[in-house]
Amino acid sequence: MKNNSNISQELLETIERYYKGTMPKDERTSFELKLAEDQEFKVLVEDIKTLILGIENQSLKEQLDVFHEDLPKKISVEKRRVGAFPHLGKYAAAAAILLAIAFLWVYSVPQNERLYAKYFTPDPGLPTVMSSNSNFEFYDAMVNYKQGEYKMAIDKWDVLKTKTPNNDTLNYFLGVAHLANKNETTAIDLLKQVTQNSNFALSDEAFYYLGLAQLKQGNIDDAKKNLKHSKTDNSKALLSKLND
Amino acid sequence: MREAYNIDHQLQLITAIKDNNSIALKAFYTSNYPKIEALILKNSGSQDHAKDIYQDAFISMWNNIRNESFVPQNDTALQGYLYQIAKNKWMDVLRSKRFKTTQSLTEERTLFLKQDDTIEDDDHDKKLNITMTAFKDLGQPCKDLLKTFYFDKKSLREIASDLNIEETSVRNKKYRCMEKLRATVLAFKS
Repeated sequence: MKNNSNISQELLETIERYYKGTMPKDERTSFELKLAEDQEFKVLVEDIKTLILGIENQSLKEQLDVFHEDLPKKISVEKRRVGAFPHLGKYAAAAAILLAIAFLWVYSVPQNERLYAKYFTPDPGLPTVMSSNSNFEFYDAMVNYKQGEYKMAIDKWDVLKTKTPNNDTLNYFLGVAHLANKNETTAIDLLKQVTQNSNFALSDEAFYYLGLAQLKQGNIDDAKKNLKHSKTDNSKALLSKLND
Repeated sequence: MREAYNIDHQLQLITAIKDNNSIALKAFYTSNYPKIEALILKNSGSQDHAKDIYQDAFISMWNNIRNESFVPQNDTALQGYLYQIAKNKWMDVLRSKRFKTTQSLTEERTLFLKQDDTIEDDDHDKKLNITMTAFKDLGQPCKDLLKTFYFDKKSLREIASDLNIEETSVRNKKYRCMEKLRATVLAFKS
């Protein structure tokens, strides 16, 4: 822009009329003739045109910002969800769910429950030889027990228990079956009774399962006490975890 | 017949946009934004990018309508034209080396877009940008008056009646404001 040329009000309005297209034909013809001949005049007209264009462009720009503020926000957010990470979204959601599950597992499941889950596997049971029918009912239930049908085994053994309430082997397996069947309280009663007899062949196992049942119930002190009586490897390992 | 009506509708729209009819501008702005935002978000852009690119495209479209370099061919011609401008502008950003190297830094990307707005090779665009900045920072009374006259296209008489002052005084004020703006632009350049 040329600093030395002042623009009169009249000239400004002439250029405005030319720019707006409101100039009469005669005036326009002579105006365009001057534009073609006078380079300095041409530059001046261009400068004014740029000023007007600048005002309009900036006005529009500011108006668009106002329009943008008024855009429905909801559309914007929805589109963002759909558009921003069309694939990542699914994986992120899946990862978040997995993390949440892991978090819940680690922090909401108490440590004793986790140890119990890690260490508890039901006693493999006694070998069942069907020919030795001296104690058919007992071994019949043992088959159910070994197949994981703890409820069935318990029902059958309960019948036997009414006949021989102090049979340690029966009480031991009944106890482990109750424990496997998630009935810790009954399991503890039965196993406590079994552990009274220190000559019982499965005494170490009985103390171990008793300790596990108490651990499951959150009774850590009693669990430790009973686990100490057991010489099995599992008992020792579990005990050292509990003392950590 | 329907096609004729549709073209007619486009021509009406274009006339309204040329007149800076704010209702038409707003309706057109609002209805075309979601599609372009979706395009940019889908192609590693942010909502800020979408806004910048869309407004840039919208202003380009508006200028091209006014200088007659756009003529509608069918009913959705202008919508498609706007979308195409925005898409091309976004492709330019994506292709640019600086965008690629600063991809993870959203702030830098936004900054880059803003810088890109002001760095223009074209001498005319450079002048236009200086004028826009000067107008942006002009005192509010002058700004309002010039906007009402040049952008809203109100006559001196209408403005005079709105402000409850003499038409001659509006005319003089407008002239003084233009001189002020011109002086600011000249100061920028020197």
